Amino acid sequence: MNKSTIFLSLILIFTAVITVVAQPEISPERKLAIDSLALEKVKDLGKYISIIGNKDTPFSEANRVIDRALELFSDGSQMGVSSLNNKDIQYFGIREYFQRLMALNYDRVKIEWFNIEYISDLVRQPDGRYVGVITIYQRFTGESDDGMKYVDTTKKDITVYVERKQTQIQGRVIGFWDVLLGDIRVTETKPG
Amino acid sequence: MKNANRLLILIFIVVASAGVFSCKSQKKIAAEQAAAAESRKIAKAKADLEELLSDNSGLSLDEKESRLKVIKDMNIEDTEVKDLIVKVDEKLKREREALMAKERAAKLAKEREDQLRNENTEQKSLDDYFKLIANSSNLGTSNRYIGEALQLFASDEVPVLIIISKSGNIVDYDRPTTIKKYLEYLKDQKVDRNKIDNVVYDANGKITELELIKK
Repeated sequence: MNKSTIFLSLILIFTAVITVVAQPEISPERKLAIDSLALEKVKDLGKYISIIGNKDTPFSEANRVIDRALELFSDGSQMGVSSLNNKDIQYFGIREYFQRLMALNYDRVKIEWFNIEYISDLVRQPDGRYVGVITIYQRFTGESDDGMKYVDTTKKDITVYVERKQTQIQGRVIGFWDVLLGDIRVTETKPG
Repeated sequence: MKNANRLLILIFIVVASAGVFSCKSQKKIAAEQAAAAESRKIAKAKADLEELLSDNSGLSLDEKESRLKVIKDMNIEDTEVKDLIVKVDEKLKREREALMAKERAAKLAKEREDQLRNENTEQKSLDDYFKLIANSSNLGTSNRYIGEALQLFASDEVPVLIIISKSGNIVDYDRPTTIKKYLEYLKDQKVDRNKIDNVVYDANGKITELELIKK
């Protein structure tokens, strides 16, 4: 490593440190608003999953809702899927997960999310993003006309990223908080 | 002379006795008249109360209640009259309750009619549409409301900004969306979490920008 490389590296590190330090901490009120916003996005996802899984939802509506739900996720995010009949947890890309959910071989499907709360608060990272983890419980009920019924409750952890971004709306610069959901990991599955 | 005095005394006694007997007789007549009047009053009260008990009086409920009050105020000490008063009182109370129930039902029916008329004919506000879409349990109805609400906008792509917090001069927004997506969001989530903060119109009176704020 020659002197110029070391010098360049030092400059880059110094610039990064300055950038992070330059971003001021936000006030508790603003932080609270961001916390609520992220929680709200997770609740929205719960409702979208319920609509997509519901066999009464028309095909076109389910596809439209899939598009809306996908907008909540960061690229490349995965969803963990578990079953009482299988020890392994499978991970699917979010779109594939939604498509499989739509095609589940039951006559009636009901999915409810409850006890939605932070298990790890949103914390500011060196790159300026806030990252936290929200846990949810999902009760899945699938029923067939022949009387077969499957019910489980799964605990899932959702990584949440919140980033400050800017956009122009009709010539006006708008600063907004972009909430994106990351991987959803299964941490527990039990009957009922 | 003695005889003359005796005669005078005798005349005086006779006259005085006549006066006393006459006075007693007048009192008796008066008492009889009062008794007769009381009897007529009781008879009239009974007749009136019986008429009130029957449904043939042709009087309004207010008139019936007024007549009963007059009879009650007479304080007639007659068992039959008192019994009749209790019966009429109960009957008029039932009639009053029935009338009030009828009035309540009529008021409710009118409110429902007005509401229906408003929904069908009057111009709904944007806020009305937000509530209607979020509260609708029928997909077809929600889509109809979305279609109607979009008529208020210059296009389906009109930007919607949602303020999540205001702190001094700093305003924080959620990720901007479009009006079509926002209306569909209300339909999907079935919850109207935001209220209108600012609306920008074009020359045609169509909305070109909408700013909402968390309730």
